[in-house]
Amino acid sequence: MAVDAAAVRPGATPQPAEPLLRVAHVTKHFRAGVSGVVHAVEDVSFDIKPGETVGLVGESGSGKSTLGRVITQLVPATSGQVIFDGVDLTTLRGERLRQQRRHLQMIFQDPFASLDPRMTVGDIIAEPLVNFGLHDHKEKDRKVQELLRVVGLNPYFNNRYPHEFSGGQRQRIGVARALALNPKLIVCDEPISALDVSIQAQIINLLEDLQREFNLTYLFIAHDLSVVRHISDRVMVMYLGKIVEISPSEDLYESQEHPYTKALLSAIPVPDPKIESQRRLVELSGEIPSPLFPPSGCNFHTRCPIARVPGICADEDPQLQEKSPGRFAKCHFSDEVRTKV
Amino acid sequence: MPDITKPILEVKNLRTSFFTDDGEVKAVRDVSFDLYEGETLGIVGESGCGKSVTVMSILGLVQRLGKITGGQVLFRGKDLTKIPADELRHVRGRDIAMIFQDPLSSLNPVLSVGYQIDEAMYAHDVIKHDDIRARGVDLLEEVRVPDASRRIKDYPHQFSGGMRQRAMIAMGLSNKPKVLIADEPTTALDVTVQAQILELLRDLNQNTGTSIILITHNLGVVAGLCQRVIVMYAGEIVEEGTAEQIFENPQHPYTWSLLRSMPRVDTSRRERLKSIEGLPPDLIAPPPGCKFNPRCPFRIEQCFSDDPTLETVGDDDRHIAKCWVRMKRAYAEMGAATLTDTRPGAASGVRPPKTLVEKLEDSREIEPDTEAVGDLRGS
Repeated sequence: MAVDAAAVRPGATPQPAEPLLRVAHVTKHFRAGVSGVVHAVEDVSFDIKPGETVGLVGESGSGKSTLGRVITQLVPATSGQVIFDGVDLTTLRGERLRQQRRHLQMIFQDPFASLDPRMTVGDIIAEPLVNFGLHDHKEKDRKVQELLRVVGLNPYFNNRYPHEFSGGQRQRIGVARALALNPKLIVCDEPISALDVSIQAQIINLLEDLQREFNLTYLFIAHDLSVVRHISDRVMVMYLGKIVEISPSEDLYESQEHPYTKALLSAIPVPDPKIESQRRLVELSGEIPSPLFPPSGCNFHTRCPIARVPGICADEDPQLQEKSPGRFAKCHFSDEVRTKV
Repeated sequence: MPDITKPILEVKNLRTSFFTDDGEVKAVRDVSFDLYEGETLGIVGESGCGKSVTVMSILGLVQRLGKITGGQVLFRGKDLTKIPADELRHVRGRDIAMIFQDPLSSLNPVLSVGYQIDEAMYAHDVIKHDDIRARGVDLLEEVRVPDASRRIKDYPHQFSGGMRQRAMIAMGLSNKPKVLIADEPTTALDVTVQAQILELLRDLNQNTGTSIILITHNLGVVAGLCQRVIVMYAGEIVEEGTAEQIFENPQHPYTWSLLRSMPRVDTSRRERLKSIEGLPPDLIAPPPGCKFNPRCPFRIEQCFSDDPTLETVGDDDRHIAKCWVRMKRAYAEMGAATLTDTRPGAASGVRPPKTLVEKLEDSREIEPDTEAVGDLRGS
């Protein structure tokens, strides 16, 4: 343990914990038609530390869900590494990959489509246990009832079917299923966007409580930056397959290092008429380009308010660089974001 | 500024039900409100609260199982629920236009966007037929579709989501309507596009004086666009007031809770969200008394037996709420300002009467108990 080591050797700085997940230069291309290539995820690298919640936010088509699926190996990466708990998942196949997946679960967006309507709630939650041969019959039932209790559902409803539950309750079932194997990392892919406003907070609070209780690590994918910022320690902003900014959540609203982040934040409506009347929208020209033909250089240059076109922004793709401690941005002119955007 | 002496649309005691195999779903229960000339009015609530059915009823678009069972919709002195279908057809799209949530399924995929905009104008004799072609392009320009004269020949699939919604708005505006009803117009769109569409609606309202009814579940969207806000719950209006009154001084516990349950991007993230426990009620057999009582932290005994009426709160008669307690009292007597426990009855300490317990409590849910799983806990 890093902390103990520091205690033994006075003066030594505690080493930051080893990342639980290290994504290194992951690229995912899909073939489209005869010769087309969809650049869904392009050279993405980041770490997630144990116990951390990292948010991944972006507009539709930014590649955030694809990235989540590459990490869980639901789709194979075109290139790059997904190192989970010291093991590169992209090199594993078959049984060895399956064994790793135990520790890596997913919660899906649509609580109606992600539960088999012909299975009872008990069977749905027990399925991961059965898959890994972990529990005998009696043990299994006990475990399912415990899991139901953990997510706030009546344990005696384990023989009911998904249609007897509301959207929010179904999402709780999805959470219980994800918890069944005692995973280390849970990828939450838009877990609340299909739910009613009054129910969303229940699920967010539940996820936060479970994290505290079970030392979970989350990758939280959503398009709603206010929700992502609330639940995450760090937020990653994705645009057209690339991560353009990584920032601690607390700092993100105060200042931004990438013009896209600033535009995104300026567009989020706040339930306060006074603030709304003073809103200054950072207008982005045009629409998000097709990932079939991503723009040259910095792929944001076609919409960027401070891009030098023609110039470096159209010619050269900037690297994701640490601009200040803990804050990374992928922009040639991030110094200007504060003043000129 | 809207003229608040002249209502252009008056909805009076509107009731709409759906007659299903399971029973009568009373989706809209005695809803009354006015829309003034040049005004932007927001109707907020979650799915199933009756907000969409209310505006569908205004336009006579409730079909099949649904039926307007009572009330009036007065537009220029005419009751839209009583006039013959072909007369209503001339109001719809000409005087009152509507744009829908999903612009893709609202557009015909085999007809060009221009054709569909023109079609809306040919259907009503507001625009001279010779001018229609040119107006189509003007409209697309007005809603800020770039390169409008070329894009007007495109088909819906060639438009992005935001562009399609702009085309829908162009169509809605084509006959210079007095009222534009927008039903979740930005819900399917990304935030950056949402902001552009809202700005467009705001400009339209200011430049042409078109009254707008905006239906949404997103309180932030309402705060930016609407001068007046109606909050609906379980088919009823529970609170109504100016945007300032609703956001700064909400009096109904549901409005108050909604505002506190959403994370805000402009505040510190450390605070735990104050969730609204439980589920929206079953509209076939709602609970007796106030329909929010099974979820309300501030409920009192009276809430279980008597249904409150909409009454003026404070000194301004524009601000009304349907609640026995109201937040003013909840702050004074129940410590609403420092409330952390948002379970039903938590602030007032009032349990439902024994005869009601089973009916009110959702036995599918229990208190989450993270202590329950011993061997699940990680190291």
